Amino acid sequence: MQEQVREWLEQGKVDIFLGYKKIQGHPLPYCFTKDNLDEISELIVAEARYSLEKMATKIAAEHKELKIGLLTRDCNQRALNVLYIWNQLNPENIKTIGVNCCPSNLKEGGDCSYLKPKPAPSVKKMIGIDNNMAVETAEEFGQKERINRWMYEFQKCIKCYGCRDICPVCFCKECSLEHTDLIGTGNIPPEIPIFHLVRAVHMGGRCIDCGLCEDACPAYIPLRLLYRKVNDIVLNIFDYKTGTSADQSPFNMLGEEVTLKPKPI
Amino acid sequence: MDFKLIPSTCSYCGTGCGVLFQVMDGRLIDTLPMKTHPVNEGKLCIKGWNLHEHVISDKRLKSPMIKKDGELQESSWDEAIRVTADKFKSIINEHGPDSVGVLASAKITNEENYLAQKFARAVIGTNNVDHCARL
Repeated sequence: MQEQVREWLEQGKVDIFLGYKKIQGHPLPYCFTKDNLDEISELIVAEARYSLEKMATKIAAEHKELKIGLLTRDCNQRALNVLYIWNQLNPENIKTIGVNCCPSNLKEGGDCSYLKPKPAPSVKKMIGIDNNMAVETAEEFGQKERINRWMYEFQKCIKCYGCRDICPVCFCKECSLEHTDLIGTGNIPPEIPIFHLVRAVHMGGRCIDCGLCEDACPAYIPLRLLYRKVNDIVLNIFDYKTGTSADQSPFNMLGEEVTLKPKPI
Repeated sequence: MDFKLIPSTCSYCGTGCGVLFQVMDGRLIDTLPMKTHPVNEGKLCIKGWNLHEHVISDKRLKSPMIKKDGELQESSWDEAIRVTADKFKSIINEHGPDSVGVLASAKITNEENYLAQKFARAVIGTNNVDHCARL
């Protein structure tokens, strides 16, 4: 891997390479360039997951022609696909080195420690939503109980916007979550459940199920489960698999004509 | 093109969350939580997420200000410290040391807080020391 990166940088196939390096004992994202080739031996694959593709998006916004290389797990790759589709990154300028993935429903035997499910505390099991629940299990609660359980989770929100700020596929210049006509300001928790549901709706056709939002949530709200459900609906109605389908998302249509016929639910 | 991530500690309160500053071409552009930091484990509050904004804010004070002729004017540190020391002296001479109080802060370090109370007790001569968390 290190030799490959060195070769890419030396031959100018990439101008920068985003990987990880241990700094002050912490595995941190690091930008390798031609000028620090001697540090390439310190390039590592870190257990900690940062959204390297979000950094690439920020860099590419200011340096349009820059060729960027990065380490990718499956989640990074899915995020890249979405960013290509939404024209946030140019696939011609991106080169990736795939690395082993986290253990998940999609892939067993990965090495990312962050997504190993932690058992939910008993209060969450009793009145909230267990973050490790499958979409189907979460749907087994009766309607009233289900909304109560979700409201318990939502009222813990401290409105840090961490879920949005860390999201690799959140790139809008104006965010509905900050739109005062849509969501009231000045209160903690924010207006629930609308705050979380607005974000959930916007994750339809966008969310690539990387779980970074849930990782960053100080209130342990099961956001990943919520967005999984949203994208299950997108899959069932539009037959669109976010992150792996190569076409435009069904929510990217301009104009007044609806071309896709939704299936009856 | 220069892109760096600089590990640091959040300066907003005394918790000490680990943050990463994203610096592009010498400009601070964003803040991220440090995933492996034992204090915050990859999480931040809204203040931590927006740390970079108070660094790059136009409203940020970059030099001390002294009120002259009813208006705040920029000055040098030497002058500002001189003026403050003189005013303290005259207040203490006139009204006694207990007319001064020191409010320490959650945004400074443990050592700086120690110095603040030492300053109050040993230099000014008062036990009027308190902390912003109790205000």
